[in-house]
Amino acid sequence: MRNRLVGLTVALVAMLTFPSVLPAQSAQKSADAKAQRSRMADHTPDLSGLWEPKVDGPDGIKLNTWDPSDPYGAKPEQAPMAPWAAAKWKEAKPPFGAKQTFQDINDPVQKFCDPPGVSRIYMYPWEITFVQTPKMVYILYEFTRVWRAVAMDREHPKDPDLTWMGDSIGKYEGDAFVVDTIGYNDKTWLDHTGHPHSDALHTIERFRRVDHDTLELSLTVEDPKAFTKSFTGKKTYKLTSSPMGEVLCAYSEMESFQQEVIDQTTKSPGK
Amino acid sequence: MKNRLLIVFAVVAGLLVFSGPMFAHHGVAGYDMAKTITLHGTVSKFEWSNPHCVIFVDVKNDSGEVQHWAMELASPTLLVRAGWDKNSLKPGDDVTIDTHPSKNGATVGITSTITFILKVIVNGQPLPTR
Repeated sequence: MRNRLVGLTVALVAMLTFPSVLPAQSAQKSADAKAQRSRMADHTPDLSGLWEPKVDGPDGIKLNTWDPSDPYGAKPEQAPMAPWAAAKWKEAKPPFGAKQTFQDINDPVQKFCDPPGVSRIYMYPWEITFVQTPKMVYILYEFTRVWRAVAMDREHPKDPDLTWMGDSIGKYEGDAFVVDTIGYNDKTWLDHTGHPHSDALHTIERFRRVDHDTLELSLTVEDPKAFTKSFTGKKTYKLTSSPMGEVLCAYSEMESFQQEVIDQTTKSPGK
Repeated sequence: MKNRLLIVFAVVAGLLVFSGPMFAHHGVAGYDMAKTITLHGTVSKFEWSNPHCVIFVDVKNDSGEVQHWAMELASPTLLVRAGWDKNSLKPGDDVTIDTHPSKNGATVGITSTITFILKVIVNGQPLPTR
């Protein structure tokens, strides 16, 4: 009799607690499964897939500066520029932002098909993808079909050559892939509004797959020669099934389009 | 059927976001984005290439004069994602096309970017819009 009572009590306690435990366990399993899908076999973050910029919001395709107080580039003059950088910026005739123009453009990408550089390439509405290997992570960019090799097993050279896309080293920090880059030449614009940078530019990119279909990039700009303080902006990408297309900047095509269309918009009326 | 120049002026305020410029490699600075006109004519050329596709249309006005219009579109890659392809228009096609015209009155306009595709009707069939 006593054993039966104990058994009934145990069963009653189980019935009372089990229903509340089951949904929580299911939710946890679901969360674990989702987290597992975002990890490689060696538990490093899985960044695989094709990523296209989000459409809406200041972290979408309309991002024009990495200044978090002015992502659209509506007030590019307020970026914390050193005096020489501010003077140089005033000469820029950019295609985007508050000073956007088609007249006498001097945007090096639009005018010469120059490489956009790391900080600016993300501002074009094109896809990116990653190829992760233990010693090297490659970032492939749809725009102009360039790629970067991020070394995972070394430090920066003491005196790197100055190049269009710099020298990149990387590591995983928790769920983030962190890319540290120096060694940039100063030929590119930092962003779509024409902010300049120097060869002291140092960028830190943090890529986080916040959920299976969303990749968040935060990019920190440090350039003690060109800016009085560092700043960090954000861009968000969404997983896509659209294959990368050919988005090359061919000077002959750019020149033809410039003459056929853009130059027509800057002629005096009646000409 | 004679092609006629049909221009409809419509103020399209608020339908497009101008908080930042928008797209491709050069923004929209030269176009009047608050104005949309409709043109009707014959395709003379369809350039399916980077940096932007361009539709060239011969538009006859009521006096029989032909104006040569060039409408800028997004790049081929972006148009494909919207359902267009290189054969969406061909020389000789009859086309009715909406566009935001150039601010200076030149016969150029912008009909699509990454965030919008205005109406384009080819031989009576509409192409995908956005």
